[in-house]
Amino acid sequence: MASDKLDALRREVRDWLRANLPKGWGTPEYVPPPRYSRESHELGKEWTKKMYDAGYTGFNYPKEYGGIERPREEIAIINEEMGRTGTPGGPLSLGLLVAAPAILVHGEEWQKKRFIPKILSGEESWCEGFSEPDAGSDLANVQTTAVRDGDEWVVNGQKVWTSMWEFADWGLLVAKTEPDAPRHRNLSYFLFDTTTPGFSRRPLRQMSGEAEFGEMFFDDMRIPHENMMDQQGRGWYVAMTALMAERSFGGTGFTGGMAAMGGLGTSDLLGANSLVELAKSTKRYGKSVWDESAFRQRIMQTAIEMEAMRWSGARLAAKMMKGGQIGNEASLLKNFQAEMRQRRGDLTCEILGAYSQMVRGSTRAVEEGEHVYNMLRARGATIEMGTSEINRNIIAERILGLPR
Amino acid sequence: MEFSLSEEQEMLKTMARDFLENECPKTHVREMMEDEVGFSRELWKKMADVGWLGLVFPEEYGGSGMNFRDLTILCEEMGRALLPGPFLQTELLVGMPILAAGTEEQKKEYLPKIASGDMVCTLAVLEEDGDFWPDGVQLKATQRGNDYIINGTKLFVNNAKGVDYILVAARTRRAIEPEDGITLFLVDMAEWGTYVSPLTTMDQTRPLFEVMFNHVAVPASNIIGELHKGWPVLKEAALKAAAALCAEMVGGGEWVLETTVNYAKERIAFGVPIGSFQVIKHKCADMYSGLEYARSLMEWAAEAIKDGNADAPMAVSMAKSYGGDTYKMVCDHGVQTHGGIGFTWDHDMHLYFKRARSSDTAFGDSYYHRELLAQAAD
Repeated sequence: MASDKLDALRREVRDWLRANLPKGWGTPEYVPPPRYSRESHELGKEWTKKMYDAGYTGFNYPKEYGGIERPREEIAIINEEMGRTGTPGGPLSLGLLVAAPAILVHGEEWQKKRFIPKILSGEESWCEGFSEPDAGSDLANVQTTAVRDGDEWVVNGQKVWTSMWEFADWGLLVAKTEPDAPRHRNLSYFLFDTTTPGFSRRPLRQMSGEAEFGEMFFDDMRIPHENMMDQQGRGWYVAMTALMAERSFGGTGFTGGMAAMGGLGTSDLLGANSLVELAKSTKRYGKSVWDESAFRQRIMQTAIEMEAMRWSGARLAAKMMKGGQIGNEASLLKNFQAEMRQRRGDLTCEILGAYSQMVRGSTRAVEEGEHVYNMLRARGATIEMGTSEINRNIIAERILGLPR
Repeated sequence: MEFSLSEEQEMLKTMARDFLENECPKTHVREMMEDEVGFSRELWKKMADVGWLGLVFPEEYGGSGMNFRDLTILCEEMGRALLPGPFLQTELLVGMPILAAGTEEQKKEYLPKIASGDMVCTLAVLEEDGDFWPDGVQLKATQRGNDYIINGTKLFVNNAKGVDYILVAARTRRAIEPEDGITLFLVDMAEWGTYVSPLTTMDQTRPLFEVMFNHVAVPASNIIGELHKGWPVLKEAALKAAAALCAEMVGGGEWVLETTVNYAKERIAFGVPIGSFQVIKHKCADMYSGLEYARSLMEWAAEAIKDGNADAPMAVSMAKSYGGDTYKMVCDHGVQTHGGIGFTWDHDMHLYFKRARSSDTAFGDSYYHRELLAQAAD
């Protein structure tokens, strides 16, 4: 494609961003809504709708399901520009990252037509009900049950660690439908409306203090049979598709491209430059932290790892675009990203020294405690979306072929 | 940037693997480890016959005009096979400076000879301090008529015994800037006055030598590039060599990974293959992951050099640093997973383990490259 045409697109996107980003975006005068608040959720919805209407999101889906078709080069440019500004997002990402890919692969025609367009346009947000108190890494050990009653299924049980738990319009649910069938063949997969009677939710407070996740309870909640996805007893396989999609985006997310698809952790976009700046502006024992060889080395190691991640993400994305499936490589990227996030969180707090103790609420806290929050939140990164251990098993067994 | 190999590149890779499996089995590597020259002229000639020695030279100088990324594909396979011999030295550390800075006469004289396998070369730049930096170059060359007289000792010279020419970095004048006053001389090893003695080294697949120059007279026509301005030429060549070495490291690391995974599938302990234990699985997963990331950085660096991008030095520093650390980690896990057999001389694992160590120190180790990156951010 002619490069002047692409340059024109780049200018168009930048002009659009200038016209549409919230006032003061990217400057200190912009005060974002609190994390996980309704305002934040609404901002994400509105932003996704704007992007969708402008043709800047909704890629990689067929037109008949609301997908927006564009040449690969154009998508790359749009994603780059969105990534650079770190656009608003967040609340809708689960629909894009998990629900839509699973529905596309396993859904019936009516399900694809009904659900995918509203996910792409941001009109409906989603949550997923996979993990349970006794089913984390061992996801097949799901205890929530669904019992057939005429044209409906009656669901009872509990889910935990649900992202977007508070405002999601729709949920994905894995429940046991064949109590006597062998593992992996006893589960079914459902799509449920969160306004259904018998459904309730409550916050689950995490070590950083927020309630980013929630718990969901099902008390004789009824789901129409037509909302089952794929066949009865195939729930495990649908869940695997969804999880792999989630992991791959969790991994490639920070390349910036995915920020445009719903804004995965923009904290990842800050890169090592912010660490260099922090080290330069922080004095320890009378001199700049940046002058300490030990810190210089580790900060540059972070820069190297981020670049390694960026290029590996791009390699995986290129493979996906060439028609390859989202593969087990997702586990590789997900782990690297999560573990790197932890290392960076630790390094940042170590640069701060004594000031790493103050969190949001203290006037003495650096950056309103953001660095400390990131360090704490990163502890969850190696647990969610498949623990680092589970992902290593996947790499060893499914890529390297080691015996189970 | 393209992330997959073209059809031609796939062919080059397959051909290189087949060629090296036939011509450079581990028996050959071990034979060369005991050999005082340390590489085979016969194999060198065969490499010329398949076009490897002029791969990146323009056709007018007897080359095939292929690009740098193509060359790194060969290097991956050479690293995998542990090919002994000064390939990087001849092609990149001597050939490239001649191509980049040599006169037309020099290019016409030397490059076809390199391509045909008749001229094997190495580079002598490090001295007592062992660091690749301009201050390390203290060996003097003094003008006398049309000649320069070289006097002094170079250390850590790869394959100095058995090569035809050594490119020597020497001080030709005192200057305020350390980079100034370094000149590159192409010294014919048939000349009187060069004494080569082996350094007993850990990595025997890549022997190092001490080279003493005792009043060696080199004609001014053997200067490569401008007088006093040799360092930037060398730096550029070393950048390419470091990137090529990254490819070698990834190639070697992949052999270690495959060998270790195969062993973990076959070795039985407590009645089951050790590869069914999570501790072993996780080591293998880390080896695989590390190599994937090292490969991403290496391919980025190779493409940046191929395209002459401004970010090439940054890409190479990142690839070299990450690649060096990763190759060492991969070999550590390789030895450990093999258990007792991995600690023996007979098993090939230690050859890679040592290659990883010697590769990390070459052209600046991981610490050096991270510091270079930090300086760019100062």
